[in-house]
Amino acid sequence: METIEIGTAVSTGEGLAKGFLKVGELPDGQAMRIPVVILRGSQNGPVLWLHGCVHGNEYCGTFIIHELIRSLRPQDVVGTVVALPILNITAFERNQRMSPFEGYNGGDLNRCFPGKPNGTLTEQIAHAVYGPLRRHANYLIDFHTALTEDVRWALFANMPGEVGKQGEEIARAFGFRSTLPAPPDILGGSAMMTAAKDGIPAFIVEAGGKGPAFSEEHVQDGAERLRNVMRHLGMLRGAVTDYGKQWHFSNFAWVHATQGGLFQRIVRCGDHVEKGTVIGRYQNLHGQPAGDARAPEPGIVLAIHPGPVMATGETLVHIGLDPREV
Amino acid sequence: MKRLEIGTSVSEAPGRVDGMLQVGWLPDGYPMEIPVIIVRGRGDGPTVWIHGCVHGNEYCGAFIIHKFMRELDLPRGTVIALPVLNITGFQRQQRMSPFEGYNGGDLNRCFPGKPDGTLTEQMAFHVFRHLRAHATHFIDLHTAFTADTRWALFAPPSGELGAKAEGMARAFGFQNTLPTPLDILGGSALIAAANEGIPGLIVEAGGIGSAFTPETVADGAERLRNVLRHLGMLDGDITAYGDMTFFSNFAWVNATRGGLFRPAVTCGHRIAKGDLVGRYYDAHGDLIEEAKSPFSGVVLAIAGGPVMPNGEILVHVGLDPRAA
Repeated sequence: METIEIGTAVSTGEGLAKGFLKVGELPDGQAMRIPVVILRGSQNGPVLWLHGCVHGNEYCGTFIIHELIRSLRPQDVVGTVVALPILNITAFERNQRMSPFEGYNGGDLNRCFPGKPNGTLTEQIAHAVYGPLRRHANYLIDFHTALTEDVRWALFANMPGEVGKQGEEIARAFGFRSTLPAPPDILGGSAMMTAAKDGIPAFIVEAGGKGPAFSEEHVQDGAERLRNVMRHLGMLRGAVTDYGKQWHFSNFAWVHATQGGLFQRIVRCGDHVEKGTVIGRYQNLHGQPAGDARAPEPGIVLAIHPGPVMATGETLVHIGLDPREV
Repeated sequence: MKRLEIGTSVSEAPGRVDGMLQVGWLPDGYPMEIPVIIVRGRGDGPTVWIHGCVHGNEYCGAFIIHKFMRELDLPRGTVIALPVLNITGFQRQQRMSPFEGYNGGDLNRCFPGKPDGTLTEQMAFHVFRHLRAHATHFIDLHTAFTADTRWALFAPPSGELGAKAEGMARAFGFQNTLPTPLDILGGSALIAAANEGIPGLIVEAGGIGSAFTPETVADGAERLRNVLRHLGMLDGDITAYGDMTFFSNFAWVNATRGGLFRPAVTCGHRIAKGDLVGRYYDAHGDLIEEAKSPFSGVVLAIAGGPVMPNGEILVHVGLDPRAA
């Protein structure tokens, strides 16, 4: 078996290899490094690359990846799982989306891929991660959360040809009901689109909300769906679960709040809305009603701001457009 | 009717008045102001002071106060509500003010405050001078970490004033309630008020940030109404919430490990010394340590995770539970 080396994680055969990948340097000169786990199976096969916490406060995916790794025995696996459970480690430490060390515009790591070796801090993190990803990955699954605990949706890079076709198959094997075949002209700079343009079928999972807004059920469910993807890819034995019909969209609307204040949502993820449907209510500091937030487009609610307070410009709602059941 | 003035809220007649109270200055020279709501009843009665968001990320209390005040039709007495005390912490979703550059940013350890102290000490001063002047009864709304938090503290714990505080606690009716020893929570508004002869209640309902539900908000507002019924300010039958569990004290346990944390208990859980409260994992997903409770009692609050450094609060345990 060929050696797979990512940072200090070196895999020469069946089993688990753990280590760290350097992605930058801290102000005190120490390495900024992120965890790497390589789970190598008994035979050669596909390399499934999983990563999480591209956004530092989106912890659910980290726990899902950890749960999957703990649940697998290398001797049962065909191929390799490469897992980087925490990409934006300094943001992870501070429970925030972007690194506290990023002093310049463009701190969203998922808009920086493939990165630059001499760019900003975040561009350099992207560069350090993308090199190994491009070299090793046959498939990419990128874990995110959205805003609230009830978030459950997914996207695959809808490239022409095999990349899009295999991405859709992964999406079916993961089975979230709300799934976007993502047009290639959105999410530029994301790991998903960058990898897909380099020929790697790629998939994003949005499960749970920020910070602590996810449950043990999400973690167990996410790990089981990953095992189903592995069964679909021939990396694990066993029947592939058919999760049934999905809602596919033409695109998703990313709506920024143009009003701020104390906010309470009144819709749940998965709700159908029309243009103008009230999705939440604002109140002022004295608790007096201060206006309603309304859906600007019809579709399915994919994510909704949890409140309790919101500044203008925050993400108010993500709406899946033109839903069709397939 | 006697004139009641708190900041720009000026009340001289029955009804509701909204205004702002200045508690400091921002770096750009604008005042740091907090909301004040006064509802004056038609007849005489107690003056209940209710405040929330002493800790900026403990939003549930602000929403409880807002709902309660919107629905309040008051025959007797006065309610003074300050839903958001630590406004700059509130803006930044953090416990303490982002403008506090010195030690002691916990507003609930600064009462009665100082007019020339740190930013947070000055905030405490500007709030407490009105509380001391007007309140006959005091309620302070907090949250802990997780949505299932439900416990309360009253002070003083005994004596004639303690009986009044206990009456409020029973009318609010959270089963797990601490008669607060006067040698803990020094600098809290609760203890500062008790030292001024004002019986008080701290309510811990829901968790930080968005970790609370509309049901908790509605329930809190209803329990506040029940306290007012008990004080004779509102008409209607006083709900008897039933037996309570009192404690001798509560243990505040700081984590001595850090990592990815999954709690193993929920609020209200009875635990024995040595029982598992949660598990720490490292960045690769390996188990670092199982966190055990150093005390026996009832879990009042549990860290929600999902990640924490050492020094964070791991668990609050109510000690020596007894039926009361």
